Amino acid sequence: MAEPRSPVSVAQNPSGVSLTETPVVEMDPVEYTLRKRLPRKLPKRRNDVYVNMKTDFKAQLSRCQKLLDSSTGPREICIHGLGLAINRAINIALQLQASSQGALQLAANTSTVELVDDLEPEDPDEAGEPLTRTRNNSAIHIKVFYPDPQ
Amino acid sequence: IPSSGTTHLDEPLSRPPVWTTLPPSSTLKPGRTGFKKVCTTGEASPCPFPGLGTGILEMRVKEGSKIRNLLGFAMARMQEQVKPDGQVGVTQVLFTGLDRAITKTITCAEIMKRQVQGLHQLSKLQYTTVREVWENKEDGRSRMTIHRTVPSICILLSKDPLDPTELGYQPPADVRSVSDPRDIKGERVVCRKRTLSPCSQSKQPNAKKAHSAIH
Repeated sequence: MAEPRSPVSVAQNPSGVSLTETPVVEMDPVEYTLRKRLPRKLPKRRNDVYVNMKTDFKAQLSRCQKLLDSSTGPREICIHGLGLAINRAINIALQLQASSQGALQLAANTSTVELVDDLEPEDPDEAGEPLTRTRNNSAIHIKVFYPDPQ
Repeated sequence: IPSSGTTHLDEPLSRPPVWTTLPPSSTLKPGRTGFKKVCTTGEASPCPFPGLGTGILEMRVKEGSKIRNLLGFAMARMQEQVKPDGQVGVTQVLFTGLDRAITKTITCAEIMKRQVQGLHQLSKLQYTTVREVWENKEDGRSRMTIHRTVPSICILLSKDPLDPTELGYQPPADVRSVSDPRDIKGERVVCRKRTLSPCSQSKQPNAKKAHSAIH
């Protein structure tokens, strides 16, 4: 993505002096550092579990299990996963269901989350402006619950 | 034989081990256990949408599928006009994906929902068994069949209303103004001057934004 400035000497110059000029490139030649902004603030109820790739899988799984087994409160949790954590969220939900011998039920919803990256110029002296890049990512929300006895 | 001894395995299955069943997304590749093997996959249990009939367009999303190609085809079919001979385009599309292709499957469905308004959605998660047949390249004779249990997702998008009480149902999203539907998955570089105020544009995660803190 980054292209360093490179001087280009003009070939035909009768005086023999080489001129340097920045090449005409489509992309900004200034180097940028990419910083990902965190996703928007999440409303977090008691039974919301947000899955990430940093915490150990078993720890997240047992945390979900504990929330489900707690005698107080509604016996349901909502597992959220963004991007790469979608697979992990699904794995957690399916394993919770498997270890409940089919007592648990799953309901999955999907959504799109907008993420913003900040591009900062590498060299503060460079004339580059701070840019922002927007991209979209997929997210999944899985409700894991014991169905009401009929 | 599945084992949780490998360091790469972070998601062991809590189910009785079945011979030649490998855990999902396992790095235990038959190719590494000795001779070179070529794999040809066959899905043992294709995902029929639980409780749905036939006559819908099924898009099988693989890990290497290109979203443009998938959606180009699916969108064309969904937006077909009524042909003179009375044939109608499809009104329902089913996106299915396994294992690593799940995220791409969701992305395809999300993009289609943006481009076609008023679609009802039904999502289902389940484990699916995949049958892989590996052949020994050198011998050409010996074969190995592996059964892998992997998570899978099926997303049904329908112009016709679906049962709202069904688990995994999502009603059509509200009509929002989208600047450019093509840019859903792509990136837009916007030259927007940003004031470098450390307070408002905080890059430090504050306590509320921390993800899944262990209680």
